Amino acid sequence: MRKYENLVIVKPTLTAEEIQASVKAIEEVITSNGGEITTTDTMGMRKLAYPIDKNERGYFHVIYYTIAPSAINEIERRFRINEDLLRFVTIKYDTNREVIAFDKLVQTAQKKAAAPAKEEVKTEEAPVAETPATETPAPEAEAPAAE
Amino acid sequence: MAERRKYKKRYCKYCEAKVDFMDYKDVGALRFSLSERYKIMPRRLTGNCKRHQDMISTVIKRARAAALVPYTVTRKQVVTAPFENLK
Repeated sequence: MRKYENLVIVKPTLTAEEIQASVKAIEEVITSNGGEITTTDTMGMRKLAYPIDKNERGYFHVIYYTIAPSAINEIERRFRINEDLLRFVTIKYDTNREVIAFDKLVQTAQKKAAAPAKEEVKTEEAPVAETPATETPAPEAEAPAAE
Repeated sequence: MAERRKYKKRYCKYCEAKVDFMDYKDVGALRFSLSERYKIMPRRLTGNCKRHQDMISTVIKRARAAALVPYTVTRKQVVTAPFENLK
């Protein structure tokens, strides 16, 4: 068993529910191949550094998991078939140093998941009301009032 | 010469900070070793040691594949500083 990390970019044209469904399907691909998901980390909708298939944005999702190395081929094959995905990046954590770093990343991801409400609200409201967000320290409360 | 003077004091900043592992998702940390056109800065200008330069180059290439950092930037995009938009 080896530790891996997958970054997955889901198409932005899907609705929020469809994105959640496809993320679940992706996680199921990993679990059905004998993988054990440690944590997941949603980076949310982000602007891409360069357009992929004429899409300017994408929904970023990171999955940390442990799996037998032989199963990675199958997982990547399934990802390639999946049309909801713009891009995926698989990272292997093999050496001792990398495994330590993996544990740290997992911990930060778990902490982030423990307080999800604040971050999700911020990412959703940031593009809608950018100017009030910079002026006031609490954008969640102030943004609707400003508009 | 002007560039040379800017980077005259040469020591590895990553060694100083005792960096053991770099995360490709932490885009802000990669900025130091990228030029304003998002090329990987050479070692002779940043003063990175060989070990950390190898680390940063693989990490930057991963970030490029993940569309977190652009491969190339045209002249128009340099002015608008795409890095701020990414965050």
